[in-house]
Amino acid sequence: MTHPSQSTLALYAGQDLGWFARWRTQRHVAECRECRIEVRAFGSASEELASLNELPAIAWNRMAAEMKANIRLGLAAGECVRTGPAPFAWLSGARALTACASIIALVATGLLLQRPAPAPPQIATGSAVLRATANGIELNQGGQTLSLLHVPSGNVSYSAGAQGSMRAGYVDSDTGNVTIDNVYVQ
Amino acid sequence: MSSKLAILFVAGVAALNAQDMPLDNSVKINLPPDSPLTLISANLGESHVSRRGSAVVLDLDVALTLHNSSPNRVRGVTLLVAAQEVTPGGKASVSVPSLDVAPNQNFPVRINLRLLRPAQMGGGPLVQVNLDGVLFQDFSFYGPNRLDSRRSMTAWEMEAQRDRKYFKSILAARGVEGLKQAMLESLNRQTERPRLDVQVSRGPAVGSAAVGEHSAKFAFLHFPDAPVDPVGGWAEIAGNEARNPRIDVRNLSSRQVRYVEIDWIVNDRQGQRFMAGSVPASGPEFNLKAGGISRVLQDTALKLSKDGGPVSIAGMTGFVGQVEFADGKVWIPNREALANAQLLGILEPSPEEQRLLDLYRKKGPKALADELNKF
Repeated sequence: MTHPSQSTLALYAGQDLGWFARWRTQRHVAECRECRIEVRAFGSASEELASLNELPAIAWNRMAAEMKANIRLGLAAGECVRTGPAPFAWLSGARALTACASIIALVATGLLLQRPAPAPPQIATGSAVLRATANGIELNQGGQTLSLLHVPSGNVSYSAGAQGSMRAGYVDSDTGNVTIDNVYVQ
Repeated sequence: MSSKLAILFVAGVAALNAQDMPLDNSVKINLPPDSPLTLISANLGESHVSRRGSAVVLDLDVALTLHNSSPNRVRGVTLLVAAQEVTPGGKASVSVPSLDVAPNQNFPVRINLRLLRPAQMGGGPLVQVNLDGVLFQDFSFYGPNRLDSRRSMTAWEMEAQRDRKYFKSILAARGVEGLKQAMLESLNRQTERPRLDVQVSRGPAVGSAAVGEHSAKFAFLHFPDAPVDPVGGWAEIAGNEARNPRIDVRNLSSRQVRYVEIDWIVNDRQGQRFMAGSVPASGPEFNLKAGGISRVLQDTALKLSKDGGPVSIAGMTGFVGQVEFADGKVWIPNREALANAQLLGILEPSPEEQRLLDLYRKKGPKALADELNKF
């Protein structure tokens, strides 16, 4: 059996094949366990790259609900320990002050989070981006970053190639040789 | 309670570290049987592999010792380093230009890279290191040349000869003191050269990148001895992003050209010029016959920042930085032309100039003069 090439399987995994090649690869993959595993591996690697260094998601709504619940609990607890009826008692005492401060903080946080901010310009979102920084070359995909090249030398010259590559040239301190590393966006 | 947390933390760190493993037998160095280079040793140093979910991150810290078993002096080597070649982050190359390795001599090559590959790929080594090319003193070449390393290394060697000749002429005319002065001027240029944070991506722009986009014309610098001349060019600009450069070039020579590289300079609203990148044109579709006109174009985007802020692109300048003829000969601009166009302070120094500067920094002008006199 002739297997499709790795690049065909990778394009198939990313749903980037034309309809005929997709149909032909689909037929092969349906019958070939080895290629099925490869396709799955390409798909999961792509997802994994996006999830590397991912910041944990913060459930703001849940956090706000918990803050409100805690405020209510504090007020309820105050009611429980109160010995006698006191008009406007909820307005006095440290607990009430804390509750008010919490509400203000909650409202301020909500406003801050909801405030519309101008979106920074983006290039080809979703596609891989190579970036040269003072410390080396990074690969960014789906907003997540992975350092590909850390250059130990301080005197590095970077050069971007419009065909989708980034080059770093430096003198290797161990060998004394000029070394040029090239990484490719695809 | 705090002691329990500490135990949990230590256990967590240990579990994470347990995923890091040395790369031991997972790096394969492939040199063809008829290769002019032979492998003497491969030290994997602190190379390690770590599993991140269904992906594998490979940190390479490899020290190779190669032997020149050919009768020629080796001037450059390029290695293709691949964990897998299709998805981003899976492939890289390491080139060592400006070498001068005599026959039967050993020399080191370092590989310091990080690669990525799917964890569930088939068996075999995790990383393959293949020889892409070797350039010799007489500009002959050995290797499969998959990365077009023949042209790159030929151009670097020509730059090396050009820059050595320049510094040797200073040494001859003004002695070691003059050479020292020239090195200090070069160091100053490197220190003062404006540096940009450049991002490269392929494919069409989406979202807000297209907002405010307009087509802008290139201005061109013309070198008197260039075999190819730019005649017109445009790119789409939006803020600090430039996309889809397309440049028409005319072949002024009587020979067929198979590769042209246009160097791309941008200037900001304050008039400061920065080297943004290079726009290459090659491949079977690029065929520039003698006297003909062809188009250099790339479906790519460059995004430029400086000191964390965007660089607003006010203008673009291009010039021919490299030409390869059909017979494999390469043209590069001469040093005088670069100086006249005030480009020396903008362009990166050649690999050879970097090497000579490093030698001067570490060993002084006398050692540099001795090195120049070897050639």
